[in-house]
Amino acid sequence: MHKQNMILRHKLFDRICHWFVVAAGLVTFLTGFAFFFPSFQWLGAIAGTPQMARFVHPIAGLLMCLPLMVMLVRYYHHNKWEKNDLTWMLAIKDVMFENEDKIPAIGHYNPGQKVLFRTFVVTSIALTITGIMMWQPYFAPYFEASAIQWAILIHAICAVIMLIFVIVHFWMATWVEGSVAGMLYGYVSRAWCKKHHPNMLNDPELQTNKQEKH
Amino acid sequence: MSAQDIILSSGTSELTPAAQVRRKLSKVAKLFDATKCNGCKACQVSCSEWNDLRAPVGSFQGSYQNPMDLSSECWTLMKYQEVERDNKLNWRFAHSACMHCDDPACLTACSTKGAIVQHANGVVDFDSDKCTGCGYCVSACPFDVPRLDPIDQKAYKCTMCSDRIQVGQEPACVKSCITGALKYGTREDMLFIADLRIKELRKRGYVNAGLYNPEGVGGTGMIMILHDINKPQDYGLPADPKTSVPVKLWQDVVKPLGAAGIMATVAVACLHRITVGRNLVEEDEPAAFDHTHEDKSDKE
Repeated sequence: MHKQNMILRHKLFDRICHWFVVAAGLVTFLTGFAFFFPSFQWLGAIAGTPQMARFVHPIAGLLMCLPLMVMLVRYYHHNKWEKNDLTWMLAIKDVMFENEDKIPAIGHYNPGQKVLFRTFVVTSIALTITGIMMWQPYFAPYFEASAIQWAILIHAICAVIMLIFVIVHFWMATWVEGSVAGMLYGYVSRAWCKKHHPNMLNDPELQTNKQEKH
Repeated sequence: MSAQDIILSSGTSELTPAAQVRRKLSKVAKLFDATKCNGCKACQVSCSEWNDLRAPVGSFQGSYQNPMDLSSECWTLMKYQEVERDNKLNWRFAHSACMHCDDPACLTACSTKGAIVQHANGVVDFDSDKCTGCGYCVSACPFDVPRLDPIDQKAYKCTMCSDRIQVGQEPACVKSCITGALKYGTREDMLFIADLRIKELRKRGYVNAGLYNPEGVGGTGMIMILHDINKPQDYGLPADPKTSVPVKLWQDVVKPLGAAGIMATVAVACLHRITVGRNLVEEDEPAAFDHTHEDKSDKE
């Protein structure tokens, strides 16, 4: 794979999980966007017809949210809030403008990523619950009309919040070069770790490409 | 009806309104006079006949009302509301069908462009070919009228026999009404007739008689004369129907704010990318395939 001494950042199972969520999420967001903004009904055409988009959306949504819950479990230990996370947050301006010497050292995930993680967890739980409440014809008939109206509203708010965080996620992943390769193939270089997640190198369970069996 | 007659269409906003030139056409209305109704169900049967609807035969539920509720195959239902007055059973017959609101909540909530329309004559109609079966109209309607069909997953309701009124006939229910409890005409005429009738009823002792034409939905295309206007619940009607708060928040606040938020995030991301530039790592351990040492990126 690499002749260089590379560090394992994402295990194979997690990588498959992540890209599965991306694929299901793409279908979910495009079809959902079609209902939220009827003028953009053509985005839902990814499912074929508007009727098919309506049928596919809740299923694709579940296929997005359930693996996301698996990722919640798998990445939980990396996302605990730590003491110097606040100092990193206060130095967010230096992070964004790449004033490297002023950025506090962080581990596997920086506090920005931890906020993102929490947002994805909260919104996907809310989207699943409200989505089931409004799911015609299977579950909606069991709920009061007024409850469904609130479910539709909360579903839309959570979807917008999630989309904004997806955009931020995409923006940061493509900006910090090497991240996308890390999520695709699992490995990042030692220098990449030193620059972006220095404390990751102190992890006693650190794996390199020389160790993992293929 | 022609496309020029559609004055309101679901899935559009004020920025791109439906055809407005025939907006001044006079609106029509169905007038139901509950004080004249004897519950014969002719309206219910003629609706089913004209519209070729055959709801499955139900079972006896202890009421003369049958079926017990509106459905995708029952667009007009004679409701036998049972009320107790002076220890006596009273029936409050209610001709139950779409109210054809001036400001229809179903149309506001609809997720699909053109699946719900309002014609220049005020009739609110569903386009089944466009309906996706999301059920937003079902939960949004303050009168609990639209129903999803269990087989084709499309929403259905009374069309006010738009195919009949298009060629100058009255709706099938009005045509078959034997007591004159149902009338049809321009909204102006119906309001005038209703006014005379209510004055007469009050003279005869029904001091609370009044017209049910709720303001909250901008008035309706089916107006009703009730024995007691202070108790619309007796007829199974909501006291103050209107487009609900969550539907309004969703359409008028979340959608524009959401669009602004999404676009602002994309704009900030692009600006940041252009101003700050690439975030590259200087590799201290060049890859074996890297012969030139020019490529300092960590791209694999």
